Amino acid sequence: MKTKAVVAPLLGWLVPGLGHFVQKKYLRGIIFFVSISAMTAMGLAMGGKIYPFYIEKPETILQVFTNLFKKENPLTLLAFFADLGNLLVYLASRVLHFGQGALERMTFEFGTAYIAGAGLLNYLVALDAHDIAVGKKK
Amino acid sequence: MIFESHLLSMVVYAFLTALVLAFIRRRERKARLRYGLFVFLIMVGGALLFGWFMYLFTL
Repeated sequence: MKTKAVVAPLLGWLVPGLGHFVQKKYLRGIIFFVSISAMTAMGLAMGGKIYPFYIEKPETILQVFTNLFKKENPLTLLAFFADLGNLLVYLASRVLHFGQGALERMTFEFGTAYIAGAGLLNYLVALDAHDIAVGKKK
Repeated sequence: MIFESHLLSMVVYAFLTALVLAFIRRRERKARLRYGLFVFLIMVGGALLFGWFMYLFTL
């Protein structure tokens, strides 16, 4: 497998559109970067939440599984995977402590949906960068 | 506070999603425009229809 086939999707996962940009697909790279970044920024401005991966420290093997459904709503696990799609923003949010979610604001739900939607779209964009690198797409 | 209107939030969300999907799924300009418009209308129209459908179940 070509190095590009591994590097391009990883770069695309880290920063939206970067995987296309390094393959000289400049227009697509810019469109993806602007759209996905705008969605994330609007989501954060609306008070949306970036969900962390949270589980209690397990004491038995059974607790590894049961802890997944404790404390937090199990659906937040899905939200975590969606938010992880925007890797750089996710990592920055953990270090700089933003994206905590402003539950009291009426735009909280929509903001959270914007952030999750942006992450999910970025997975597709990163996969597209991989397809271009292996020659499946132009 | 931006986007207090849920309708406007939904329209902007649908527009940006349709734009990205059109650029992923289609390569020709005309096909992108058609596909993007289709996705956008499905998202906005579907949400409005579903909203009215839920209205049937109000107390």
